[in-house]
Amino acid sequence: MAAIETTGLTKRYGDLLALSGLELSVERGELYGLLGPNGSGKTTTIEILTGQRTPTAGEVSVLGFDPVERPLSVREAVGILPEREDPPSFLTPREYLRFVGDVREIDDIQSRIAEWADRLEFAGVLDTLASDLSEGERQRVMLAQVFIDEPELVFIDEPLVNLDPLMQAEVKALLSEYCSAGNTLFLSTHFMEVAEALCTRVGIIADGSLVLERDPRTFDGDELLETFASEVDGR
Amino acid sequence: MRGSTVDLPLTLGLFRRMLVEEFRLHTSLFGRRRFVTLPVFVALVVMGGAWLLGLTGTAMGTVVAGVHLLVFFFGLQVGTAGLIGRDAMRDLLGGTTLLVFSARTLPVSRRRLLGVFLLKDVAYYFVFFLSPIVAGFVPLVLVGELPAGELGLLWLTVTATFALGAATSLTLAGVATRSRLILLGVLAGVLAALVLLPGELVALTPYGTYLDPSPVGVIAGFVPLLGLLVAGPLAFQPATGGGGARRVGRDRFDQLSSLGDGTTVRPLLEVARSSGSVWKVVFSLGLLFFVAALLLERVLVVTGIEPSLGIAFGTLLALGTFTTYNWVTQLDDPREYLRYPVAMDRVFAGKRRAFFALSLPTGLAYLAVAALWFPRAELLLGVVVFPLVSVYVYGVTAYLTGLSADELLFDTSLFALYGFALVVVAVPLLVAALAYHAAPRQAVAVALGLSVLAAVVGVLLSRRVGARWEEKLRAGE
Repeated sequence: MAAIETTGLTKRYGDLLALSGLELSVERGELYGLLGPNGSGKTTTIEILTGQRTPTAGEVSVLGFDPVERPLSVREAVGILPEREDPPSFLTPREYLRFVGDVREIDDIQSRIAEWADRLEFAGVLDTLASDLSEGERQRVMLAQVFIDEPELVFIDEPLVNLDPLMQAEVKALLSEYCSAGNTLFLSTHFMEVAEALCTRVGIIADGSLVLERDPRTFDGDELLETFASEVDGR
Repeated sequence: MRGSTVDLPLTLGLFRRMLVEEFRLHTSLFGRRRFVTLPVFVALVVMGGAWLLGLTGTAMGTVVAGVHLLVFFFGLQVGTAGLIGRDAMRDLLGGTTLLVFSARTLPVSRRRLLGVFLLKDVAYYFVFFLSPIVAGFVPLVLVGELPAGELGLLWLTVTATFALGAATSLTLAGVATRSRLILLGVLAGVLAALVLLPGELVALTPYGTYLDPSPVGVIAGFVPLLGLLVAGPLAFQPATGGGGARRVGRDRFDQLSSLGDGTTVRPLLEVARSSGSVWKVVFSLGLLFFVAALLLERVLVVTGIEPSLGIAFGTLLALGTFTTYNWVTQLDDPREYLRYPVAMDRVFAGKRRAFFALSLPTGLAYLAVAALWFPRAELLLGVVVFPLVSVYVYGVTAYLTGLSADELLFDTSLFALYGFALVVVAVPLLVAALAYHAAPRQAVAVALGLSVLAAVVGVLLSRRVGARWEEKLRAGE
């Protein structure tokens, strides 16, 4: 069974057609990258797949659940990191992760907080208010909340944003390790190099439809960028 | 940096752009039509309120004083908006950012941005709230209750009173960025003046100018305001970053866990750590308590009717818990909760526990304070009425506004519906309070029956809140 499957997925906001009959299939264990320009429908796709929005039409299945009918079942099984999301300003990372532990009903949350704070190198700021953390530290805390419940499938919008080069390498290794354990990763990004470095398959979305899917490792040089530009500009 | 010198074109340019930004923000949030009809609605509410107060025999001077007082506190509240910080604003508005937070990217000082932001707020609220409030007095001029010449003066002093409130909160917050001790000293001084020299203090406000529009009265009423408008931005000391990371005890979360899970602890911590801490809850209910005490005394003096203090205080304090709901949802981006495996029902249950954890002890404490001046036996009814009507206020507020209670202020139809929902319960209860000495048993029966009924409605609404807002948010409303 595919981890993610959509058929004719359509979303309309008033007069705006955000998704137009999107057909998508992602296998378990895949590291799938959804590429597209601003406003192409990437965020809406993730929001529908995770039960945050209801589609106007079409069918969708995530880990065997219908996110329209059973959004909580989907969200229990997945981790989500939207773009530009920070931990709440007036909580510390420890408190925020305690909150996440409560809503996810994780029993051994304290030990998991310690484990992920060490792994993502923010143990020194665990008791500092989030508003006083650097952008990179906040991003690490947000990554921790994604993985802390060991989900089978993770959705991340721009995973490497605000991270320094060393931390980017760490996160890339973390994501690869996560997928090699049989889990599935669904990335949304603007950055070709992120898709090339991380993904086993990329899909290019433009105007709410998937226009191309391919293994990025089969591209030479700037071919992915050129393909992206021609597919997006050509529409 | 251009913020260090007087630069009129820059200031005017910022002012104009901030006005445009504010208008676009509100019209994009609530729709142009719902937003621009708000001034008409405000004028109608003031008109109706002044007429009703006239029926009770309340003197025009008391109504005018009350309007100045309310506008001052409104200004106090608005003045804090520019101070909650860029990051906290991002919690609230998601990807939206505002010019006032652009000191890091533009060659303009934070002080200039704050000063212009303050003036923009005054101009903005002048059009959408203050002028409509004054327009609500026009019928009173037509029927001869208010001299025509005083309308212009009222317009000026109401606007200046709002500016005084906004400048006061900005200055107090500015002082707080330098020294908490000085802040406490300033607050103690103002409180002492309020108790010992209330007349002199009032003369130093625009309301003093309304009472005494002579040249001396104008100078006395406006000079402190001008001083605060300059002092507020100057006193403000922006956080410099680096070395200023605030650490807190690691067990705060556990200490509050007895009140509920993370959905309860989080809003409690956010209220305690945001501007004004838990004192804003005490202050906002205290303001209502103070106004209620004044009104009840006026009712007794003017009409000779001795109202039931328990029913009246219980009802009015419960209505005031709306502000507590606003505080516990103030920093929420409702869509954030859709990313966790948590039903909105549970999120609202957490908010409800936080709401009652803050509002119940505060309201009951004010009833206890009232017992120092008023007959204790009469206040006992308030101990029953207050929590029951608070359940109703919670249910109605959560049902109608979700996690964005402040949207009420800018959405005419929602504002009208919410006002109606509160009036439906509050008016019969206040009538029962007035009828208490004429027919005590019946008044108590009506008050208790209504309070229980209101609480039942509140519980029923609370049960539907989660599903309603989950559906609306997922549909993208």
